[in-house]
Amino acid sequence: MFDIERGGAEHRKLTYSDKYCVGCGICTDVCPTSSLRLGPLVPIARGLIEMDLVSVNEDSCVFCGLCSVACPFNALSLLVNGSDIKNTGNYPVWDIECSVDDGDCIYCGKCSLVCPQDSIIFERNLPNPTDLVRGEIEIDEDYCIYCSFCADMCPAEAINITNVPVSSVDVLNNSIDVDLSKCIFCGVCRRICPENAIKQICSTCMHYEDIKIPEITGKTIISEKSCVSCSWCCEICPEDAITITKPFDGTLELTEVPQEDKICKGESCHACQDVCPCNAVTIVDNKSVNDLNFCNLCGACVTACPQDIRVLSRNSMKLNNINSESWNEILNNLVGK
Amino acid sequence: MAVKIDSDKCGHIENCPVQGLCIKLCEQGAIIEEDGDVKIVPENCDDCDLCIQNCPNQAISKA
Repeated sequence: MFDIERGGAEHRKLTYSDKYCVGCGICTDVCPTSSLRLGPLVPIARGLIEMDLVSVNEDSCVFCGLCSVACPFNALSLLVNGSDIKNTGNYPVWDIECSVDDGDCIYCGKCSLVCPQDSIIFERNLPNPTDLVRGEIEIDEDYCIYCSFCADMCPAEAINITNVPVSSVDVLNNSIDVDLSKCIFCGVCRRICPENAIKQICSTCMHYEDIKIPEITGKTIISEKSCVSCSWCCEICPEDAITITKPFDGTLELTEVPQEDKICKGESCHACQDVCPCNAVTIVDNKSVNDLNFCNLCGACVTACPQDIRVLSRNSMKLNNINSESWNEILNNLVGK
Repeated sequence: MAVKIDSDKCGHIENCPVQGLCIKLCEQGAIIEEDGDVKIVPENCDDCDLCIQNCPNQAISKA
């Protein structure tokens, strides 16, 4: 996290949030004054060094804001007189989307489980199981011997029994109770009872037409700020309810050069896997395998690879509204390299 | 092939900014601490070069 500012005719402030930074190095690549520096990715990712991924040289920064518009991950912002230049309409903006169609989402929650950045807020309201069943249950304490067979076998854990004497003046201390907010009238208790003390009737089938299935409500929200466009949510969604646009199109390949001893060392190294913000890298048969479906082509793994054998080729990017010729030239270096 | 450490550049754990980053990074046990200093165990080295790339003092190179 840093905040640097400059006064004068306009007040300019550059802010960096390590929380959203993935260590891709795009900002350091585009900075015209080489004022930004990328820290040691692997030691930081492994928690061996505690520091921000990017640092700035305040003396050389010219507050142009190029880094902030180039960052596809919302880690940098340039504020001019308090307004973020990305919101003024005059500066380049990433045309990337991460959204959930509420009409299609069934609130299964798989997306929030796979999101490598914990960027998906997910909540759902399921009905009470007893709303879906009908029946009756009754225990005749004249016959019950409090053996606890029923309570131990009840799949809904709806039966509570006390049957342990607490003192010589209360040798029995027996009680049995069915929690009707849990009982689903399955009949296991009645069938296991050695004393036929339980009467149970399930009338769910009989009332099948009358039992209304409550609508399952909820919400699934992708945080635009912390989404890294990996597409895990989109790929895993069984209802195709999620749209993710990636910032770049292209490829990322492992190009070993055995003659120069440049070979992926797999499990010994796994630097690529550690720094990948997308969980796109897996070590298979002791080699790094990158799944492009989940990769956002950020390039952090390329920087982290000590063998320098990862080749990133970006063909196009979704950065639009580049109005300046010099910025266009610099920003276009991000693709085609 | 393993790696070698330039003794003049090395922080010798005590003066290393991360107190022996190479030891912490190497999961092969090819760089160990011995008598308060860094020691290479060549037979364990897998030539992954993580230590070379990340040494804050640029003290490690190919042997």
